[in-house]
Amino acid sequence: MSIWKNTKSTVRLVAEDIYYLGVDEPHVDELFEGIHPIPEGVSYNAYLLKDEKTVLFDTVDKKVIDKFMANLKEALDGRPLDYFIVQHMEPDHAYGINHVLKAYPDVTVIANEKTFMLMHQFGVDVALEKKHQVAELDTISFGRHNFVFAFAPMVHWPEVMVSFDTTTGCLFSADAFGSFGTLDGNLFDDEVDYDRDWHEKARRYFVNIVGKYGPHVQSILGKAVNIIKLENIKIFLPTHGHVWRTDLMYLVNKYLKWSSYEPEEKGVLIVYASMYGNTEKAVEYFADKLQEKGVTNITVRNASYTDTSYLISDSFRLSHIVIACPTYNLGIFPLINNYLARMKSLNLKNRTFGIIENGSWAPKAGDLIEEFLDKEMKEMTILDDRVTIISSLGEINEPEIESLVDSLVQSLQS
Amino acid sequence: MSYQTTKEHEALRSKVRAFAEKEVKPVAFMNDQESIFPVEQVKMLGEMGLMGIPFPEEYGGAGLDNISYAIVVEELARVDGSTGVIVSAHTSLCAWPIYAYGTEEQKKKYLTPLASGKKIGAFGLTETNAGSDAGGTETTADPDGDYFILNGGKIFITNAFYADTYVVTAVTNPDLGMRGISAFIIEKGQEGFTFGDTYDKLGIRASSTCELKFNNVRVHKSNMLGQLGEGFKIAMSTLDGGRIGIAAQALGIAQGAFEAALAYSKERVQFNSPIAFNQAISFKLSDMATKLRASRLMIYGAATLKDAKQPYGMEAAMAKQYASDVGLEIVNDALQIHGGSGYMKGMLVERAYRDMKITTIYEGTNEILRVVIASHIIGRPPKKETAAKAKTAPTGVTGVRKKVILEGTAQERVDKLVAALKSDGYDFTIGLDAQTPIPQSGRVVVAGKGIGGKENLTLLEKLAYQAGAAVGSTRPVAETLRYMPINRYIGMSGQKFTNNLYIGVGVSGAGQHLKGIKTASTIVAINNDPNALIFKNCDYGIVGDFAEIIPLLIQALDNGEAKRYVEQPKKIKRAVPKKLPANYKIHICNGCAYEYDQKLGDPESDTMEGTPFEMLPFEWVCPECGEEKSQFI
Repeated sequence: MSIWKNTKSTVRLVAEDIYYLGVDEPHVDELFEGIHPIPEGVSYNAYLLKDEKTVLFDTVDKKVIDKFMANLKEALDGRPLDYFIVQHMEPDHAYGINHVLKAYPDVTVIANEKTFMLMHQFGVDVALEKKHQVAELDTISFGRHNFVFAFAPMVHWPEVMVSFDTTTGCLFSADAFGSFGTLDGNLFDDEVDYDRDWHEKARRYFVNIVGKYGPHVQSILGKAVNIIKLENIKIFLPTHGHVWRTDLMYLVNKYLKWSSYEPEEKGVLIVYASMYGNTEKAVEYFADKLQEKGVTNITVRNASYTDTSYLISDSFRLSHIVIACPTYNLGIFPLINNYLARMKSLNLKNRTFGIIENGSWAPKAGDLIEEFLDKEMKEMTILDDRVTIISSLGEINEPEIESLVDSLVQSLQS
Repeated sequence: MSYQTTKEHEALRSKVRAFAEKEVKPVAFMNDQESIFPVEQVKMLGEMGLMGIPFPEEYGGAGLDNISYAIVVEELARVDGSTGVIVSAHTSLCAWPIYAYGTEEQKKKYLTPLASGKKIGAFGLTETNAGSDAGGTETTADPDGDYFILNGGKIFITNAFYADTYVVTAVTNPDLGMRGISAFIIEKGQEGFTFGDTYDKLGIRASSTCELKFNNVRVHKSNMLGQLGEGFKIAMSTLDGGRIGIAAQALGIAQGAFEAALAYSKERVQFNSPIAFNQAISFKLSDMATKLRASRLMIYGAATLKDAKQPYGMEAAMAKQYASDVGLEIVNDALQIHGGSGYMKGMLVERAYRDMKITTIYEGTNEILRVVIASHIIGRPPKKETAAKAKTAPTGVTGVRKKVILEGTAQERVDKLVAALKSDGYDFTIGLDAQTPIPQSGRVVVAGKGIGGKENLTLLEKLAYQAGAAVGSTRPVAETLRYMPINRYIGMSGQKFTNNLYIGVGVSGAGQHLKGIKTASTIVAINNDPNALIFKNCDYGIVGDFAEIIPLLIQALDNGEAKRYVEQPKKIKRAVPKKLPANYKIHICNGCAYEYDQKLGDPESDTMEGTPFEMLPFEWVCPECGEEKSQFI
């Protein structure tokens, strides 16, 4: 059977009776959530089950609502829409609720108590007789397909729930297992070289959106293992990114790592800012010294020209972080401050830091960064090898640099 | 409340007074002068049944009431404040908590010999950083199977080292603040339990007071007093009762001074009349007698409440605070009445004047007692907005250290030490003037009392030269032994050493000394006592004899050339601790991911710092989003 249901739309069959209604959004000028740049675009995924009853899973963002509504109509192929499951109320998936209710006024909305509450807050009111409120682990049969609903609070909103089709093994996972990036026609994980082309995007998506909620991610993964049983899950159907039907454990293992704040790789991330190039020069020299001592996994990022979401992604990836920072108004350079504040807000922990500070009359950034890492964040180890540059790198810094390099090498080896 | 004591009380008073006059008074002056603990007298008190007055006879006690107890302390203190406090600390602070909180087994094993006077007891609460604020307790008791391992120390402990049985407090859970303190019974002679020097005090000089040191003292869990985490509660209720004893001590000292002044004023004739009839003196005597009566009634009142098992904490605090405050006035007036004679050694008032001062200080300073009294009459003050204190698990005084104790033959140990120091970046071709001021010295070799005679200093100076170090010492070596000028001693109260290399030779590691070196980059300890505290606070340690190790070390550091002088030797780094997660679970809200950290509590609901999540009330909700307690993971 051809997977193409209709060449004029982007509707695709993903499993028995289950259709993909999602839409790519390749426009790069918008910030995701108003904060993260996504030059790679993003896909907004929604799904339709055509069983004895028809069931819609979520909608899409405002920008692509028309395409989605066309897909829905096409997929229904003249049948009425019986049920509409709202798993997550964030407007990039919930924007279309009103459109759906208007186009299919007889539809019954299935959601949990918190979702209905948020729906009301966002200005969507469902008539009482059209509400079907579900509780944790409730089940519903739509004919051949039997569903169980599991709540995933704070992954990454409090109302989130996932829906598991016990008939096909499809897990409608909401934002979990999603990614940035448009699909460009390759809907399934096995249609792309995920590790080469998508791993970075999936990490940047996960750690920046859900990074703070590691314990909650662990909790829902626990439910997947203990209640649904991992071996029963055949397909992940997330609300962004690829449909996973081949190597599910690849992503589960990544999630276990990210949500426990374990670094993916041993290596050094150097995040720096430089006003006139002196700190940058020191960073270049420092990276060379690291390399001379045999460190091969080094990533250097200029915080002034790199969006913080990329710095965060690298910080989740690597075990060691060197911050090189000018003193600015007797404080931390503002863009480095942004980076530190974002790390704190995402609850990153368990990293080892080195600090390089620069200052021309009163170097202060080092003390402040150290204090921030020590007091404001958890389980951050700070090496006792501050490099203090007075305006520009000089002979005097040689022992300090050597000492910090040695400590990093030693710590990487341990 | 009785306004008069019973016949039995007065019979007891006569008996104790007779004993005190006959056995205690004659030796009190000499014991005070020479700081001699009255071993014989205490033994006799035990034989007379006066070391366990308020305890039931089945545990070897006298089965009498608390007024009787107060009378005994009062009568002893009347002639000698030291003997009064020996009985008071023994009875109130050691035997009582065992009686009140001990298991049957503990009472049989410990209370019986204490109450029958066969053994002496003491109580250890006060520490360097935990005086009025017992929450600052730093002595730790880490569980290890059926045992707790005690480490740390106590200061100003009455009856140490003569006591056989000690009730001490230690932190069993550093994250729970006051609720993480537990009480233990330990015995003199247990491995790792040692005493520091006896203090040289202003008064009560015949009572022994010294430091307790715990170095991996293994205490079986059956010796925990009360429940885990009850230590603070036990200590506080112990002190409540102890205050009756101290109040009685203050009363007794004042009574003795008053009687001496009264007698003296009747004998001393000036202007053709005994001075007692001089109004200036008679008014003094009237006031003294009034204050004594007021004190006595307050003390017996508190004792009566205690016997009636009614709340007596406030009354005991009032009695102790009042009796000691007016006691100081009474001894002052008593000495004044004696004129110049009272200022002379050998006069009871001279000793009473000095002995009295401590009673306004110990078992709750009179300032803290006013806090206690105020809390009873006003209630708890409203919460102050304070930033939550992040308490970290205690490490040694000197922070995180490598604590490598070198093994092998003497030569091997020395070689390993030198190799380790060189690999840490120390260059032993550079040198320093041995008398460089301590704050400017990059390295220092420090002499502790363990070096023995003064002649051994020469060897240390040689070591200092080869190590490129200045010479320093501990406080006793400079202050008591006077081996070096006072400006060479290192410690919290002296000069701090914050530089690279510290080599302590014969240094045992008193808290105040270790505090003075806590930011040193590298701490090396050489001592023949493997239990010396400094080994817990060092990077490298050699257990070995001074005379054997030091010459080998000098040889190993000698490069055969004169040392080069270096203006600013490079700073050597300290070991960096790996930050570890909290040792308790942080509970996170399913509604908003707010984290409940028991270390911080929840100020919004007046939940105290240190309250475990499990102990939050059922109706507690998330302070951010209002989710119920059950919605936390």
